Amino acid sequence: MAILGKERQEDWEVVYEGVNGLMELYTEDPDSKGMNAILKGFGKFTEDLFGAVDAGRPVVWHNCGCSPELIKGLEGVQSMPIEVLPVLQDLVGDVNYTMALIDEAEAHGLAPEVCSIDKAAVGSALKNLYPAPVAMLCHNTPCDSQIAAIKTVAELTRKPVRMMDVPYLYGDREVRYLAAQMREAIPFLEEHIGKRFDWDRFKAVCEESNRTAEYLRDWNELRRHMPCPQVSKIVALVTALLVAFSGEAEGTAIARAFRDEAKERIERGESAVEGGETYRAVWYQDPVWWDLQFYDWMESELKLVIPMDLFGYYSPETLIDTSTPESMLEGLAAKSLRAMPMSRQFKGPIDNFVDDYIRLCDDYQADFGIFAGHVACKHGLGGIGLFREASREAGIPLLYFEFDMFDPRVTPVESIQAEISHFVDDVVKPRKEAG
Amino acid sequence: MVKDHVLNEMRTAIGQPRNTYLDEWVNSGGKIMGYYCSYIPEEIFTAAGLMPYRLRGAGSEDSSDGDAYMSARVCTFVRHTVSLALRGELDFLDGVVLAQNCDHIRRAGDLFRKKVRPSFYGFLSIPRIPKERVYGWYLEELKRLKAEIEAHYSVQITDQKMEEAIALHNNTRQRIQELYDLRKRDAPPLTGEEALTITVAGHVMPRERFNSLMDGLLLELKDARVSEGYRARVILAGGVMDDPRYLKGIEDQGALSVAEMVCFGQRSFGKVIESGPGDPLERIARHCFFNVPCARMVECFDEQVSELLNTMNEYRADGVIFQRMKFCDPWAGDGHNLYWRLKEARVPFLSLEREYQVAASGQVRTRVQAFLEQMGK
Repeated sequence: MAILGKERQEDWEVVYEGVNGLMELYTEDPDSKGMNAILKGFGKFTEDLFGAVDAGRPVVWHNCGCSPELIKGLEGVQSMPIEVLPVLQDLVGDVNYTMALIDEAEAHGLAPEVCSIDKAAVGSALKNLYPAPVAMLCHNTPCDSQIAAIKTVAELTRKPVRMMDVPYLYGDREVRYLAAQMREAIPFLEEHIGKRFDWDRFKAVCEESNRTAEYLRDWNELRRHMPCPQVSKIVALVTALLVAFSGEAEGTAIARAFRDEAKERIERGESAVEGGETYRAVWYQDPVWWDLQFYDWMESELKLVIPMDLFGYYSPETLIDTSTPESMLEGLAAKSLRAMPMSRQFKGPIDNFVDDYIRLCDDYQADFGIFAGHVACKHGLGGIGLFREASREAGIPLLYFEFDMFDPRVTPVESIQAEISHFVDDVVKPRKEAG
Repeated sequence: MVKDHVLNEMRTAIGQPRNTYLDEWVNSGGKIMGYYCSYIPEEIFTAAGLMPYRLRGAGSEDSSDGDAYMSARVCTFVRHTVSLALRGELDFLDGVVLAQNCDHIRRAGDLFRKKVRPSFYGFLSIPRIPKERVYGWYLEELKRLKAEIEAHYSVQITDQKMEEAIALHNNTRQRIQELYDLRKRDAPPLTGEEALTITVAGHVMPRERFNSLMDGLLLELKDARVSEGYRARVILAGGVMDDPRYLKGIEDQGALSVAEMVCFGQRSFGKVIESGPGDPLERIARHCFFNVPCARMVECFDEQVSELLNTMNEYRADGVIFQRMKFCDPWAGDGHNLYWRLKEARVPFLSLEREYQVAASGQVRTRVQAFLEQMGK
């Protein structure tokens, strides 16, 4: 294995230094509880991952469509999303390293139109930047590009993969189908990890997952407040939280910090936008993760805040019933189908995708919507016509542009800023002034 | 020459959305069901008295109607088929059955449902793992579809009708297999372009008429020797390929395609469905679900590679020309993985990406020439 400790690979060192540097920056800021908590989580994840390597504990890879609770039902196992390094690199490290991973995958023959995060995951595997897994547990969601990446990573590592088939719809029949597959995946995990699945442990993991969900539900409600109490850049980080920390105390701590910060700021009458917000927009599809300061720019220059986006929205209907093994599996399946951001909106018919958007615009009193079309999201871009029609029918102005969520070379930040500025000036402002 | 006649008929039949055989079917009161993919069993439609019609973009000169709803990052195959449907050029369809074959077709499904609004719209949630553990779900989906078709068209799809449908489609499969067997010869009696014309035609004509045309053709081909001037024998692999003109551009350089392991090629027909006993729907389901997997499926890449290598061996191919539609993610992953697997196996491999309705360009011809030279041919 190439990695024996965090200090031995430059890419990880950059991430680790980035996390620590940002934590120093934010620790002194009493208004950054949420950001502090997630940075602490990122740091801990890195330490846990390499701690597992150093201790010889098994690592199980999964994809972002697969919530990791089932893996955490086995003691001593470290779960690792295959997208983790480039995500951390974009958020807290140096995006140049992500771009190098993307280039690595393309140079190895992976088509450029595959999603950049999937290419970067393949690049990470090609460069042996990840601790070797004993197995991979995946869901075939949220998109085809993920599946292509999973197949490619499996091919590169030649490690056993267990895929769970996530069906098209979201009903109870679908929940039972996915839950049955989860049950059947347990012997697979046991075989490759060499340990028995611990139902009591799994129950504790699910309870923790529920605690996180409840804080997120409250936080989702608090973000509706006008003015929006918290900065925009924090919203999409919920997906990172759920993918990496579901079922862990760390996840609950982050969600609680998000909630507490929002609550306290509302109590103090504080707005995310210094001087007061003028515009509110629901950001849909994918966030700009290679430059979180972009959100600061929106707030300071345009007085525009994003109270909610697709990555931050956590559907409130799903808590895991922990009364029996079967109910836990069905609860986890329901979470995967109906609550996990992206999986909920991206995989099925267009209706969930559009309906969530219209509801968010209403709930969060958005002046307009921003469809930030990540170039590799063919399902989103394939539905853009219907999406536009629905937005028009609902009377919500919609800005659409294409960019890459992980790679700033596709559309530079200045272009995105210009798109949004012009739309606000030419469409939103006159509309708002006209009442 | 029977061959010339049949091929001319079939070339005409696949050049436009409608063809004379289809019109005859419609004029005699027959109904037609459109579908995209071979994981949707044609036998169910046939047993319901419907003619299966595989959706294509043939005859679409531009994709502007589809482009109005889908970004340019959706593959052109889908945008052209959607364009035809939105323009009303597929109005002869009495219904469509779609599935989440890929993200692009999934969104095409939304457009069919919301904008084209055929009188019958069916959708199958097809598992992406060709394993027993999820086969039951697929079978349930087929049962649901069968019931929906029965209710909508007021027909009863009896076991007897299903057996007759199996027999009819098996006849096609046997003929396609015979056709492919002839291509194992040193001097195959037809080119890849011709074979692909035939297999594509099989997807858009009433099956009885197709089988009957095939009988005459096969009789003549058994004694024919044609393709001797080629430089290398290749397998055409990859995703959707229903444009024989593109393949002709490749073959004109001396790369004779001896088998097309593509959608619309032999993979779409597969081996014959075993005769009873047993529930005919279950036998159909097993056949479709466990047929040679395509790139949308997972946990089966070893089987895909084995099938390709076995086919190479069987047809004595010198190399593989892989083609995929630009923006197709499933085949992007498999294209990468196949390249490295075949490199390990020392199999010459050329990867081409293409757009729908675009003939093999000068660049493609140059790459094929270079590929043949690399192979020492």
